[in-house]
Amino acid sequence: MKLFNIPNKKMFLDMNWALFITTLVLFFIGFVNLYSASSIRFEDGIIHTPFYERQLIWGGVGLIILFFVSVINYKVLENFSLPFYLFVLILLILVPVLGKTVYGAQRWLDLGFFSIQPSEFAKFSVLLMGARYLSKDGETLGWIRLAKLMIIGLIPFALIAKQPDLGTALTILFLIGGMALFHGIKWKVLRICLVIIPLLIPLSWFALHDYQQERIKTFLDPTRDPRGAGYHIIQSQIAIGSGELTGKGFQEGTQSQLRFLPEKHTDFAVAVLGEEWGFVGSVSLVVIFCFFLFSIYSTICLAKDRFSSTLCAGIFFYFFWQVMVNTGMVVGLMPVVGIPLPFISYGGTAMLVNCIFIGIVLSVSINRFVFKA
Amino acid sequence: MPNKIESKTYEPPRMGLFLLQFLIALLFVVFCARYWYLQIHRGEEFARLALENKTKIARVDAARGEIFDVNGVPLAENYITFALAIMREDVQDVNAALAQISEWTNTPYEEVLNIYNKNKVYARSFDPIIINEVSFETIAAIQGQVHLWPGIYVIPKARRHYPQKDLLAHVMGYVAEATQEELKNDERLSLGDIVGRQGLEYVLEDTLRGVKGMDAMEVDVFGRSLHREIINDSSSGQNIYLTIDIELQKNIEQLMQDNAGSVIVMNPDTGAIDALVTLPSYDNNLFVTGFSKKEWDAVRNHPRNPLQNRTIQSVFPPASTWKLVMAGALLEKGVNPKSTVHCSGVFKLGNTQFRCWSKFGHGAVDLKHSLMYSCDVYYYEKSLELGIDYISDFAKKCGFGRRTGIELPHEARGNVPDREWKLKRFKERWQNGDTVNMSIGQGFLLVTPIQLSVYISSLLNGGKLLKPQLVKRVEPEIVGYTPISPEHCKMITDYMFATANEPRGTARVIKTDGVITGGKTGTAQVVKIKMQGDRRVKNYEMDFKQRDHAWFGAYAEKDGRRYVIVTMLEHGGGGSSAAGPVVRDIIKLLFPPENK
Repeated sequence: MKLFNIPNKKMFLDMNWALFITTLVLFFIGFVNLYSASSIRFEDGIIHTPFYERQLIWGGVGLIILFFVSVINYKVLENFSLPFYLFVLILLILVPVLGKTVYGAQRWLDLGFFSIQPSEFAKFSVLLMGARYLSKDGETLGWIRLAKLMIIGLIPFALIAKQPDLGTALTILFLIGGMALFHGIKWKVLRICLVIIPLLIPLSWFALHDYQQERIKTFLDPTRDPRGAGYHIIQSQIAIGSGELTGKGFQEGTQSQLRFLPEKHTDFAVAVLGEEWGFVGSVSLVVIFCFFLFSIYSTICLAKDRFSSTLCAGIFFYFFWQVMVNTGMVVGLMPVVGIPLPFISYGGTAMLVNCIFIGIVLSVSINRFVFKA
Repeated sequence: MPNKIESKTYEPPRMGLFLLQFLIALLFVVFCARYWYLQIHRGEEFARLALENKTKIARVDAARGEIFDVNGVPLAENYITFALAIMREDVQDVNAALAQISEWTNTPYEEVLNIYNKNKVYARSFDPIIINEVSFETIAAIQGQVHLWPGIYVIPKARRHYPQKDLLAHVMGYVAEATQEELKNDERLSLGDIVGRQGLEYVLEDTLRGVKGMDAMEVDVFGRSLHREIINDSSSGQNIYLTIDIELQKNIEQLMQDNAGSVIVMNPDTGAIDALVTLPSYDNNLFVTGFSKKEWDAVRNHPRNPLQNRTIQSVFPPASTWKLVMAGALLEKGVNPKSTVHCSGVFKLGNTQFRCWSKFGHGAVDLKHSLMYSCDVYYYEKSLELGIDYISDFAKKCGFGRRTGIELPHEARGNVPDREWKLKRFKERWQNGDTVNMSIGQGFLLVTPIQLSVYISSLLNGGKLLKPQLVKRVEPEIVGYTPISPEHCKMITDYMFATANEPRGTARVIKTDGVITGGKTGTAQVVKIKMQGDRRVKNYEMDFKQRDHAWFGAYAEKDGRRYVIVTMLEHGGGGSSAAGPVVRDIIKLLFPPENK
């Protein structure tokens, strides 16, 4: 089996152009917004920290990777998924032994010349492994198959939650759960799950670290600590709300320029957009993200085999999850969890991972007629 | 197309696709609704909060008004001192900054920390928290280093200074740093501000203080100011010119020598006070800079209480000066001034004997001579004709028993007794003896020197009771009118002239060539007249505290300028012998003899 398929003219036209262009639009919006979010106003003018420049470089690298991945023969990934999954598990086990501690959490493996974060790979490997597992047949899931599928997710979940990195761990759980729902679960199993899972959620409270409990309490009532943990939530809502209908104008947002808004170039970047472009800008971004998700959805519909459509559904859930949690956090609908907004928040690793996933969806759209079922 | 193979075997799960559609719709609906809620529904509220976030108000000090005497001689002025202060918003490590201040000023760190902790509670944002004042030498020494410590500032502070020191301390009063209580109650004050505490500084606080300016600052999250805009300019307090002539005040003080007592020089037509001397005095600058323990003990334990303003806060029996009031009461009652009373040196009321000051008696005296000789028996007898009710009422109408309204705090009312008062105070009925006693200004009757000045002024100006003025104004302020007609006023002042100028007049000591003078003496007994056999014990033979108070109420006029002069020497002895020469010399100061 060839690793790469260089697309011919027909395949080139088959590519999901809508997704590609929407991705470029999102990247452009993110870049412009980051230019403003990187700036800090001082007495004698505005100074930019060069986040937007680095984002441009990451975007360039991401684009190359995106093209590279899009010509990959996605069937190869199916065979590749089990060894990759096992490799990631080994890395995750190594983290507590060899990892270095940053901000009180062990998430990184130091490889001497650079550091890697195995949990980033874990998302990818769970997607592949889940898609592979579900691609065997179209039967809706019964108890045993559902349990097996969940175990694929729960092992990395437990390892990552221990680091602790609850955000990534929950992402993995959400991805595996989303794929299961997409595939279909037997009605009586689903019914029981819908009753039991809400009952289990309160119990999970006791498994949380103090600071995690604190975040949730603060989310429920930001005013209990307005200078401390609630500060992010309050300032973020002030930033967005003060944008009103049309916003304060590009680089005119006082909340961000005067640094009242925390983490404004990463997790809270969308608040800068809301402040400077107002309701019009915020809703436009929501619409673009919806269209972005819809583009992925269209490839899922067109996919010609179970593995690729399930994999794309996983990728759909991956982006949906990030948009929902990040925007939800910024607008005060969700607790503060450090999950960035794709293409809008600054971050090199996230950019690369996002490009890989988009690349896979594009690959599926390009190659969909190439293989036998 | 060779590699195109249609696959019919796979269809994506229907429910799964439906789920994805639903999630996209959910995302759209939830976030659009939330953005609408935050940006449209509550947009204005958040816009206001964002504005509050970035806007801070800073205050700009206004200079306190200065005070000058009638000729423009400075009495209260400002000078600049320097203080080290911390602005929390700008400082990175408060403890390090405090330690540095402690090193620069040679003050123990704990002390610096204490001051900081005490003051920071009351500091609003952008109030510099003053740590301590520093000398010019220190400033010069640390000048190069201060800018290396962001958040530490050398700030100029206006200090109050009274160049006349104790010469006018009671009138000027003093200022002090606003207490924490005052800071809480007065929005306009900020930490380290000074407010008037005594005297004119206290009474004229609103005029002197001025209005602070306000600057709006755009600040970032660390409170650093990026842009400053003036909202209100500060405006300094008004300068004030007094009626006091500090040169006259100084000369009078010298005349008083070591006496405890007071002198008031007042313009009878305007109420303007030219001199208000009270002795002993204190240096009011000490209240600004702080007393040493020794200095404070010296003031507090001084036997004659230098803090007391004797012109307005001390009350005394008016003694024979009261006869000026009694004369008015008699004239207004229609008593013929020519009718005489025989004085044998003693007046009998039941079993009690009331003596005249002259044990030989004055023979037949009419009103004029009763004032000239200061005959007591004349008033003993006449007072019983008038009755206490009339006398009390009359005295109150002449301004006694209530404050004159001079622009100084803590003025005393004095006391004009009547039947009701005695019943309340002593649970005893008013006796005729009380009336007799009161007729010569003894007994329960108490007046302040300023009340007497206002009364004598009213005799000269035809019955107007003027509010004594310390601050120069165009219009005199008339508080009321005495019941004495202008003709009778004139009559009484004529008799005062006679007392000072005619032979045997008791105030002859103030007779001055070329000046119209009039006066009335008074000798207030502190203890009952002591007899040694047949002889009265002389004043100088008694303990200081038992000696008589010497009163002198006088006026002097020349070339249209006229003044009322009231002198009161505590335990000074006889009114004529002790207070007389002082008044005589004051008249010479007011009307210097022409050198031919």
